[in-house]
Amino acid sequence: MKIVAVAACTSGIAHTYIAKEKLLKAAEAAGHEIKVETQGTVGAENELTKSDVAQADVVIIAADIKISGQDRFKNKKVIEIPTNVVIKSPKGFIARVEELLKG
Amino acid sequence: MLKKLQLKKHALTAISYMLPLVVAAGLLIAVGNLTGGSVVADYTEAYSIPDALVSLGVLGMGLLAPVIAAGIAYSIADRPGIAPGLFMGLIANSIGAGFLGGMLGGYLVGYFINWLKKNVKVPKWAEGLMPMMILPMVSTTVIGLLMYFVIGVPIVAATNALTAFLMNMQGASRFVFGSIMGGMAAFDFGGPVNKTASLFADGLLLEGVLEPEAVKILASMVPPFGVTLSWVFSRIFGKKIYSSREIENIKVAFPMGITMITEGVIPIAAVDPLRVIFSCTVGAAIGGGLSMMWGIGSPVPSGGMFIVPAMNHPLKFVIALGIGSLITGILLFVLKKEPVEQEEFLEEEEEEFDMSAVEIS
Repeated sequence: MKIVAVAACTSGIAHTYIAKEKLLKAAEAAGHEIKVETQGTVGAENELTKSDVAQADVVIIAADIKISGQDRFKNKKVIEIPTNVVIKSPKGFIARVEELLKG
Repeated sequence: MLKKLQLKKHALTAISYMLPLVVAAGLLIAVGNLTGGSVVADYTEAYSIPDALVSLGVLGMGLLAPVIAAGIAYSIADRPGIAPGLFMGLIANSIGAGFLGGMLGGYLVGYFINWLKKNVKVPKWAEGLMPMMILPMVSTTVIGLLMYFVIGVPIVAATNALTAFLMNMQGASRFVFGSIMGGMAAFDFGGPVNKTASLFADGLLLEGVLEPEAVKILASMVPPFGVTLSWVFSRIFGKKIYSSREIENIKVAFPMGITMITEGVIPIAAVDPLRVIFSCTVGAAIGGGLSMMWGIGSPVPSGGMFIVPAMNHPLKFVIALGIGSLITGILLFVLKKEPVEQEEFLEEEEEEFDMSAVEIS
């Protein structure tokens, strides 16, 4: 499936990017297409485009803080979790996402 | 109910906006102080560049409460929260409710705005007035008056009591307080527990209590320095405790540590959380206890080794930092097992996590 994700943490210099890496690897290992936008202290990087969002089957928000541009995901399936869930258990999380989308 | 309110998320959002402000303001004060500047009291008189730097830094510190209040209100109520939040922070500043007052004001005004959005219905032609006039005006007036006349009083009293309590602490109790602060600040390497301790220290700084700030700075640097020391020990004594990948990470963590960024240790802690967290917390707790007991204070909240000269006892600070880092280093050296060379970052064992709470919202 196609996944888009946003990662953001409090200081915006470390956990944000670790979460991104973990999500990327776990999702790709499970054979999904994924794009992760990071909202660190430097601002948004690798921003999701309108068509990215439109084509996505699910939106993952791995954030400890309020992200900007949440309204982009209106009418999409959105899963919100703190960054430590994907950092500690990325594969388990992706498995859970698959389960949720099926059921 | 509590979970739905997401108090922590709102606070963390606000802190994320506040951090660059604290760092910039802190460094400005430090650089200004070191070059002989002091706060400009009268702008009609001549003043120097260092004076201007210190004054700018102090102005920045004055923005802390407004920014934290606005950040919290924004996180709760989106854009309409920003302006009223700034007001609440200014009230907190002026009635002496400081940081805590700013946070509380931010929460109150944020939730109040959400309530207004839901419950105030206006005719179609007035919809444009809602975000532009009604929300900011009504929320600022109502919560503002509440802050001035009701909530401010106990908060000011609590702030004063806490300040007096810390000022009057002696010997052993100072050590204990310093250890708790230090342990908390190092515990999760820049995560929420650390930010809670920092918030507390920054709040006290605004009240003129400088010691917790020194503890925070010390405890933020103990983990990277301690980890680096343990690696040095492992080289000297020929006991292998880090994989080549971890050593690369340490080489990044050390310079980050000098500037007081603890996050560089995370990749090392992620591989072996129990031992690394334990060693870092113990080292930082002891270093923090010593720092507090020796009465080391920092007028600057952030900046790492660069602001040490601005402290009241720079040499003692370095000694306390050295002792804390040494303890962390020795603990790691003794506790760590020979590493398994890992090819892939992801191959780390996954922690069991209850995923049933994860739902599509």
